Amino acid sequence: MSLLAQVTSPLSLGPVVFGAPLALAALIALPVIWFVLRATPPAPRNQDLPSLRLLDDLKPREETPDRTPWWVLLLRLLAAAAAIIGLAQPVYGPAGPPETQPSGPLLVVVDDGWAAAPRWSDILAAAEAAVDASGRDRAVHLLLTAPRARPLTDPARRRSQQEAERALDTLEPASWATDRADALERLEASGLQPSRIFYASHGLTDGTDGAFLEGLAALAPLDVYVAPPRATLAITSLSSDGSGVSVTLSRVNREDPLDVAASAHTVDGAALATAQASFEAGSTETTARFDLPGGALSRVSRFSVAGMQGAGTTWLWDSADRTRRVGIVSTGAAAQPLLSDIHYVRRALEPFATLLEGDLADLIQQRPDAIILTDVGTVPATEMEPLVEWIEQGGALIRFAGPRLAAQDDELLPVPLRRTSRALGGALAWDDPQALAPFSDTSPFAGLAVPDDALVRQQVLAQPAADLQARTWARLQDGSPIVTANGRGRGMVVLFHVTAGPDWSDLPFSATYAQMLRRAIAAGRGEVADDGEGSFVPQLVLDGYGRLQSPGSTAEPLQAAEFATIQPGPIHPPGFYRGPSGTRAINAAAGARLAPISAWPAGTRLLGDAEARRLDLTGLLLTGALILIALDLLIALILSGRMPRLPRKAMAALPLLLALAVALPHPAEAQMLSARGEEALTKAEAAAINMRLGYIQTPDAELNRRTEAGLVGLSRILWLRSSVEPVRPHALDPERDALELYPLIYYSVPENAAPLSEPAIAALNRYMLGGGALMIDTRSGSTPGDSQGLESLSGLLTGLDAPPLAPVPDEHVLTRSFYLISDFPGRYSRRPLWIETAGEEGRVSGDGVSRLFIGDADWVGAWAIDENARSMFSVDGGDDQREMAYRFGVNLVMYVLTGNYKSDQVHIPALLERLGEDEEGGEDIDIDSLPTLQDGGPN
Amino acid sequence: MTDLAALRSEAEIIASSLPPLTFKSTASEAPHVGSAGRRKAGTGEHFWQYRRYAKEDDAHRVDWRRSAQGDDLYVRETELETARTALFWCDPHQGFDWRGGEGRRTKADEARVLMLALGILLSREGDRIGVLGSGRTPGFGKRAIDRLLEDLATDQSGDFPPPPRASAFAVVASDFYDPAETWEKRLAPLAETCREGVLLAIADPVEVEFPFQGRVRLRRPGEAIARIFGRAQSIREAYREKFKANREALDGLAKRLGWRLVEHETSAVSLAGAAALKKALESFGGKA
Repeated sequence: MSLLAQVTSPLSLGPVVFGAPLALAALIALPVIWFVLRATPPAPRNQDLPSLRLLDDLKPREETPDRTPWWVLLLRLLAAAAAIIGLAQPVYGPAGPPETQPSGPLLVVVDDGWAAAPRWSDILAAAEAAVDASGRDRAVHLLLTAPRARPLTDPARRRSQQEAERALDTLEPASWATDRADALERLEASGLQPSRIFYASHGLTDGTDGAFLEGLAALAPLDVYVAPPRATLAITSLSSDGSGVSVTLSRVNREDPLDVAASAHTVDGAALATAQASFEAGSTETTARFDLPGGALSRVSRFSVAGMQGAGTTWLWDSADRTRRVGIVSTGAAAQPLLSDIHYVRRALEPFATLLEGDLADLIQQRPDAIILTDVGTVPATEMEPLVEWIEQGGALIRFAGPRLAAQDDELLPVPLRRTSRALGGALAWDDPQALAPFSDTSPFAGLAVPDDALVRQQVLAQPAADLQARTWARLQDGSPIVTANGRGRGMVVLFHVTAGPDWSDLPFSATYAQMLRRAIAAGRGEVADDGEGSFVPQLVLDGYGRLQSPGSTAEPLQAAEFATIQPGPIHPPGFYRGPSGTRAINAAAGARLAPISAWPAGTRLLGDAEARRLDLTGLLLTGALILIALDLLIALILSGRMPRLPRKAMAALPLLLALAVALPHPAEAQMLSARGEEALTKAEAAAINMRLGYIQTPDAELNRRTEAGLVGLSRILWLRSSVEPVRPHALDPERDALELYPLIYYSVPENAAPLSEPAIAALNRYMLGGGALMIDTRSGSTPGDSQGLESLSGLLTGLDAPPLAPVPDEHVLTRSFYLISDFPGRYSRRPLWIETAGEEGRVSGDGVSRLFIGDADWVGAWAIDENARSMFSVDGGDDQREMAYRFGVNLVMYVLTGNYKSDQVHIPALLERLGEDEEGGEDIDIDSLPTLQDGGPN
Repeated sequence: MTDLAALRSEAEIIASSLPPLTFKSTASEAPHVGSAGRRKAGTGEHFWQYRRYAKEDDAHRVDWRRSAQGDDLYVRETELETARTALFWCDPHQGFDWRGGEGRRTKADEARVLMLALGILLSREGDRIGVLGSGRTPGFGKRAIDRLLEDLATDQSGDFPPPPRASAFAVVASDFYDPAETWEKRLAPLAETCREGVLLAIADPVEVEFPFQGRVRLRRPGEAIARIFGRAQSIREAYREKFKANREALDGLAKRLGWRLVEHETSAVSLAGAAALKKALESFGGKA
């Protein structure tokens, strides 16, 4: 009886557990099978032979029958063994059931905080393996360490094995951290007495794990699977300044150096920028720096780490720490900058805002968050309308008083002013200079320190009005308003009743001045910087994988004051919260200090990756047996000659197919551009045999790679779309290589490039004179003010025999040599392309075809593809513009290859017209009177 | 059985690449004297020579046109043209119509091509060709070739045919795997009438090489009995010995009959076989 129980229960052999060990008994049969197979000769092949007659009188000799080949025997035995072992339902699970099998309930504890997300599948797999191994009739209880609004799992609930597996399958990581103390409380409250505990952990401490682990260990024997924090990364903080943003990345593993890429995304997920960061060996923190122009920065809404999914590696960026773009209306260079009002404003704002300076009209065009006017009496009537419009769309106009404003004002003021200024102190005044009164709680300046040494000596006075009180943000100790503001549309007009400089007050000397300015600026875009007020409603929340979603029913609004101290949790999940004064974000890993759990309670069994896995071998083995049997069948057929022979051609194709299969992992693109048998050739020979593009090698290796990738991309497009089939481009050294073998040479001008050497220039001259085409790309198209960057070229290309250049005229052959295009975009569009002026007398340049192309649109950037034919760089106008860039590239190569051939097409209408006239009037075609075209036409 | 037209065209190609048959002038007259090979005066169509009129000649044999040029009388003699008869026979045994591998003809087809090529050559010379035991009278010209092909392709099952009434030149194609004695018995009556003949022994390379290995069940086509060899490679040497002995016996038989033996393998070029067959045919008369 006991023996039977023993054999029917699962049998464990080392790390392998057999579900039906009785089947293993069939293994005894293997030697028998072996003997029988060996004794039985293989089935004879049937053959016809007419000359068998000759052997009629040949006595059948005593002969040992041909044995089954040993490898066939082995194959069959293997198949039989695999089938038998497979039927025994083996499961590979090093964690296995423990030696003693207590029948009490199993408690599975799962860490489901944000740190678990990167290795969530491993954690789940380990938990499921533990449930799987527990045995069919064992009760399973689940405990999740991250708190949930409605507990997903009650540790007290008893589940069957299947129920537990189903429950585990539906789990998802939370976007907030684990709270193990809470979990322990819940466990203790349930009063569960497990006989064994399996803990699948992400291995990061949350401060309460010591007590938690002790608590678990005290309950029952504890097995712990730690998903080793491979590269557990989190974005833990962010800082921004005027010129960009730095995000701090943290990791757990400190041994190896690690390179990561962080990217900045817009609200709808488009990546705006990518920044590289590397962890040095031994360090757990690094920063990724995004240098972005203010306009782009304002569109960034979150940062993430490339290749990592999880709430921890996503940083939501709210408007609070966003740098503001502030326009300062400049009044020209002051003779004494330290006395200039603007100087103080500038110094106060520089640390946290992007400053734009210019005249008012320009500034309104650039749509800053705020515009500062210092002592401007009346805004010019022509600017009034756009200025008001800008304010009503959410701009903050900040004005400072001064003698001029005191003299005459306009309607763009928060409060009506008295037409004079009030002087405090001084010989003729009654009052002493006044300090600022504490800010009222309703003021946006609430909470700022009130400087007691900043005295106001002069101010403009507001006319008393009913709503003056409401519009006052700050007042002097005697109660007179010193900062007033009034909403206008979605924007705000703020008036400082003193000068921006120290003429009227000491305020500009104090630190509070900067803070006041900053908060005043924040009034722009409808976001009043009053942190302490209002409640914030969850707008978008992060899930555990770092995806933004609509908030669930459990997410609750949050008071503004709570932001500083909030711990994200089920009630307040990480995400964007919308409040009266803009959007605020809660981040999962804000300020997190990542550290692995280092101390485990005594007696804990720690399982590695391999041990926590369970692999059901049944299917694997049975499939293997089946495959072996099929193989054996095939071999038997071939041996007995019954296998239909493949035609010879098919046989010949077989190795080819195999080679193809082996070659398939290589990108097909690479094969397209690769020319066979070039290995043995010199570069010049290879270039002579196969047509290809060339580029001039620069000292900048990165730029060279980029140029090559660009030309590869263009070559690929040419392969695909035209009969031009260039192979992989060559890097050229003009001094050494034979340039004349390349129809088009591309020169990406590196930044701060040294001028080309004289021999190189001479070679390029010869090349162009001989009909070669040179494309020079300064890649400076992103700087709007720079007129082409051609100035820098002139120094670079000293001695280059450059013909007079002109922008490509309309109707030029370049616009129609293959595609009809109207612009020549690269990564930047609407950049002029300069070519040789047509019809220059006395120039030996083939048929008026331009041999020199100069531009700055960074074409290679738009063309560049990586090995998998994916585009490498972003393009201003997206995919449409990239397509247009390719079309330009095709046109360019066609133009270079076919010269003015296509320009004849240009003449067709004129020629047809002439022919018609000729028929009617018998008039000779006057070649000279044909319209002269800019390029290639007769002249 | 392969396409007859293909066989025919193949045979035509072979025939056209062989030079015309040239029989020795000394070849014996009786069985086969072709128009080209006689080279002496006799009954025929073509002019041979003028000779002086002799007393014993009939008066009407005088060629008056020639005689009118001089004082002497001349007689116009034509070249002797006596058609020979060639009779072919192709072994109908199922094992003969067999091939050991892809890419080559069956032995029977190969024999047909060779005999047909020879038939074409002969009929071009004006000789009569026919198939032994077909029941049709040997003829010449294009139709004779068509008939030859037809009759060769017709499966004449049954015993070896009885000898023809008139003397002829015989070509007997088979694989000759039956013992030499059997063949001697069969051929003896034929050799009585046809003093000149060729044994065309055709073999497949598989039959020559015996390339089998391992456990093989061998079966002679047309017979139910099969033999299993556990290790075929072990009897290869014995088989080759047997094969050689068979061919030697065949050669002896041919010599006894006064015939020639032509051996041919289906893997070899057919032209070579046809040439060998032609050479054997032309060799007759050399000794006479």
